[in-house]
Amino acid sequence: MRITQQAFDPQREVAAFTAGRDDAGALVSFVGYCRASTDGAAVQELRIDHYPGFTEKEIARLAEEVSRRFECPELLVVHRVGVIRPGEAIVLVAALSVHRANGFEAVRVLMDYLKTDAPLWKKESGPDGARWIEPRPEDHARRMQAEKGRT
Amino acid sequence: MVRLVFLGKFGDVAPPGLAEISLPGDVHTLGDLQHWLARQQPLLGQAMAATRTRLILNQCVTHDLSCPVADGDEVAFLPPMSGG
Repeated sequence: MRITQQAFDPQREVAAFTAGRDDAGALVSFVGYCRASTDGAAVQELRIDHYPGFTEKEIARLAEEVSRRFECPELLVVHRVGVIRPGEAIVLVAALSVHRANGFEAVRVLMDYLKTDAPLWKKESGPDGARWIEPRPEDHARRMQAEKGRT
Repeated sequence: MVRLVFLGKFGDVAPPGLAEISLPGDVHTLGDLQHWLARQQPLLGQAMAATRTRLILNQCVTHDLSCPVADGDEVAFLPPMSGG
């Protein structure tokens, strides 16, 4: 996994992740982008804070748990921090797996985990000021659902 | 010296001078440290009281406010996380 202050190109990251791999039957990827508006309010920039060292360790722990659970040994996580503009990628999660079902589930569940458990703090700024964001009730509901599915 | 890290909204109200402090004589535990901070910095105290605050000692999650704090430690104060 990688935390980066720099803008990244998800397609290039995925190409590097899959280069030379002929043992996987499926690639599933998800990219989250910074939106230009939230609930009708314009967003000029998003700032994401992280706790260096701790954030990386926690995201790696979540990824390892998902990797084990879905027998999906190859997972890629790239996460932006710092100041992000609308249209830029925030997070990329990708899974290489033998069959597609495990890949889809691994990416979905890891994103559900990241939405509630990743030690990241987001501040949205727009013409009306800035506000810190906390997970929405539906994020927690998905997280609970993902937890229930553990075997 | 003890290194203090304030994340998210706590970083907005914590003065920059609080990044490293000499441990006051009456501060022995994480709980003491949190109370001392709230006394020294009422805005920070209010922000921490108004939400769920997690404490991280030397990069490890701790729920035990009676954990001792000593010179060389790093203590981080985390408001609820926004997630990725």
